[in-house]
Amino acid sequence: MKILLLASLLVLGLAGCASQPETRSLSERQNLKVDPEVIYTMAVTELFEERLAQPDGTSLLHVQFAVEARSDTELAWKVTWFDANGMVVKSVGEGYRKATLLTGQVRYFSATAPHARVTSYQLHLREPKL
Amino acid sequence: MLIRALVISAGIAVIAGCAAPTRYIDPAADDGPVAMTMDYRDFEKAASDAVEDMLASGAVNNPDGGRYVMVVSRITNDTMQRIDTDQLTKKIRVSLLQSGKVVTTTAVGLNGAEDEMTMKARELRDSEEFDQSGVQRKGTLQAPDLSLSGKIIQRNHKVGKEQQVEYYIQLSLTDLVSGLAIWEGETPIIKRGSDSSVSW
Repeated sequence: MKILLLASLLVLGLAGCASQPETRSLSERQNLKVDPEVIYTMAVTELFEERLAQPDGTSLLHVQFAVEARSDTELAWKVTWFDANGMVVKSVGEGYRKATLLTGQVRYFSATAPHARVTSYQLHLREPKL
Repeated sequence: MLIRALVISAGIAVIAGCAAPTRYIDPAADDGPVAMTMDYRDFEKAASDAVEDMLASGAVNNPDGGRYVMVVSRITNDTMQRIDTDQLTKKIRVSLLQSGKVVTTTAVGLNGAEDEMTMKARELRDSEEFDQSGVQRKGTLQAPDLSLSGKIIQRNHKVGKEQQVEYYIQLSLTDLVSGLAIWEGETPIIKRGSDSSVSW
């Protein structure tokens, strides 16, 4: 009986060691994050995503968004890429990309994921300080 | 005498107090002032634009599968500044490597190998001092498939009471089999500022 109990504990212990590491998000991540200052001066009118097929059977995530300016304004934007586990995938640029918009102008911006393992993204729009 | 010493000390203290403190800048959150010269943000923008366009266009997709081997050719600095063009090419290389599509050879270069150790290590061949099983064999080096070349151009203009400095970062990716440029890109970086600003 004691041997059976020990064997069961050992099996359970090994099973515990073999379990895959899990990642979990503490709050729901939004694809689009727009700072309040930006909302006053422009509106995001489109946000599209597609996967670009690659010859090796994989695909790259590609996103495109459009903003329409209500007044002459400046915009800073950045896309952060995530893999299936929610981990950040590094890309070449760390900084925000800046753009100028004229009143009534609709501008289209796009970004391509740095690796095929990217499955999701977060686009952040903010007002540059300078 | 004491009063003079006090005044000088106070003066030094005031001057030291006025100096901007040295601080770290986080490149991921830098809203700092823009320089008329090219700074790290300009190189980052140019590299981002280039890599994203290369990936999106499919130019770096090897139809035979596997990774392309790229060599960095000449990047001409036609500006008034002393620029180390590695600031640009290294970002592109790192990003292409991380994409899993392109690996850069350091064994070949216009002015000799970037890493001379590749050939130096082969000089150990037939040396009785070295275990020959660990020495690189003949015919193991991989020749490049693609070549990255380019030019950075600067143009200065006087616009009213201001100065406009235009930088154009032009890059080409050449297929070494055919000699054809399979991808080309240009990132213009235009800055306008005080006429007294220096752009060299």
